[in-house]
Amino acid sequence: MIKKEAAQVVSVTPLSAPRHFVLTMTSAHLASHSRPGHFIAVAADTGSAILRKPFSVYTVNPDVGEISILFSVYGPTTTAMSRMLPGDSIDVLGPLGGRIFDPEPIKGIHHILVGGGYGVPPLNYLAKTIRASAPDAMVTVIIGARTANLLVGDDGLLDAGVEVIYCTDDGSAGVQGRVTDALLPLLKSDSRVYTCGPTPMMKAVGELSEAHGVDCQVSLETFMPCGVGICVGCVVKMRDGVFSRTCTDGPVYPGCEVAW
Amino acid sequence: MVSTVNMTVQIGSLKMRNPVTTGSGTFGFGSETKDLVPLDRLGAVTVKATTRERRLGNPPQRIVETASGILNAIGLQNGGIDDYLANKAPYLRCFDCPIIVNVPGENPDDFAYVVERLTAAGAADAVELNISCPNVSHGLDYATDPQLAASVVAAVRKVTSMPVIAKLSPNVTDIRVIAKACEDAGADALSMINTVVGTAIDPRKRKFRLANITGGLSGPAVKPIALLAVWRCYNTVKIPIIGMGGIACPLDAIEFMLAGATAVACGTGNFVDPTLSLEVIDGIEKYCVENGFADVNALIGAVTAA
Repeated sequence: MIKKEAAQVVSVTPLSAPRHFVLTMTSAHLASHSRPGHFIAVAADTGSAILRKPFSVYTVNPDVGEISILFSVYGPTTTAMSRMLPGDSIDVLGPLGGRIFDPEPIKGIHHILVGGGYGVPPLNYLAKTIRASAPDAMVTVIIGARTANLLVGDDGLLDAGVEVIYCTDDGSAGVQGRVTDALLPLLKSDSRVYTCGPTPMMKAVGELSEAHGVDCQVSLETFMPCGVGICVGCVVKMRDGVFSRTCTDGPVYPGCEVAW
Repeated sequence: MVSTVNMTVQIGSLKMRNPVTTGSGTFGFGSETKDLVPLDRLGAVTVKATTRERRLGNPPQRIVETASGILNAIGLQNGGIDDYLANKAPYLRCFDCPIIVNVPGENPDDFAYVVERLTAAGAADAVELNISCPNVSHGLDYATDPQLAASVVAAVRKVTSMPVIAKLSPNVTDIRVIAKACEDAGADALSMINTVVGTAIDPRKRKFRLANITGGLSGPAVKPIALLAVWRCYNTVKIPIIGMGGIACPLDAIEFMLAGATAVACGTGNFVDPTLSLEVIDGIEKYCVENGFADVNALIGAVTAA
């Protein structure tokens, strides 16, 4: 159920990546209803920029009724968010998303999660969710970035028993190369791939998975003016020629449905 | 608080329990925000444009944010009248809320065909003729020429007894001429304004930001244009006006009523807050109570010189 509420900011923590922050807020509603792949839409009083901005749910703590989102400062809304203080009110709408990640933690499946940039946070939540529901599940998260200090969103993955592979374009951390270089040797008939990040990356991951006959769920990132399906502005083209609303028909699609 | 304010307004034969509806294309078909907006609280629900045939719409990018507004070029994506009758109307009819269906068309026959189907099925309580959509070929033409606008109104007038509302474009030299032509052709009401045509450019990429190049500007940026259009038409025609364009809070809606609108529509504001209509309904009532108006109709056109 979608709710609009004034959540309370618990903390806004800067990350080592420049201009990146994790914002934690109190919301019993979001903490109990958010699943991996869901997002929330934040409105900040920013003067001339009127629209809400969408953020994937990063961490969820239902016990204390808190969720967090990870963002980088890009425009007026994220600037305002980066300056929020504990106790401040934050106007949020959520949880949003029609089709979200479907982890199907079947025994024997190797779950491979491939993320880049702000695409990593929802995969972090997904990885932990899979491990929690199937403690013996094999979960690997491949995280890519241009350079070491832009690797974000890996908080708590190792503790959750998840294998993490880092890839950087310049080799400053982990494997030098692209996420697809790390993905290729892992693709087997028992693999299931989930990806979120920049569109060119997801296209490459989706196509590589498809070429190996492996199911791939892609969480598309678009400019979402409303987040609830009424503006029809966030569409992407599907292979059947239809324009699909990523906010409510997605954001997660089988990679083989998207007309990249 | 027990309200003693009469909030009922009349758009032709359509009775609205309060003056607030939704702007077509900014509220889907009513079901999308069911968690947030009980339809039976609205004065009426104006649903997304419904065309004769299914339309895929324009390729993305379809919406960009501009100063105090957005530019959109959706291109009337919808499932067509068959889809509306089969899949949208039954849901909408579950609520005690009048339905206004927005109808675009490429020629008067298209408009008349869709309105005839709606009338036969009882699937609308009023129709809003979208003679002014800037995002499809021929769409805008009808609202920029008084004779063409009248031809669409007249064609539809023949096939329905439902209230016929003509939605006017601000992209004209003198909107009053079009308003009068629609009234003379049998329109029961006018709605205004549709979006203001414009564009946006990404200077870093040196590309247009919308795939369609042009789009319709809406949001608070257009409110002054819309208010003047309403006031000018209020002083020109006798039929009621549904005012819209940048309403973001109750006082914006009050301004439209003071300028001459009998009802108002929340549009782009729904994207920011889908519950805006409810806030506006409550706010109008509160304004009436606080300012001693026993009847919301007393606000209509009540603005005076500075």
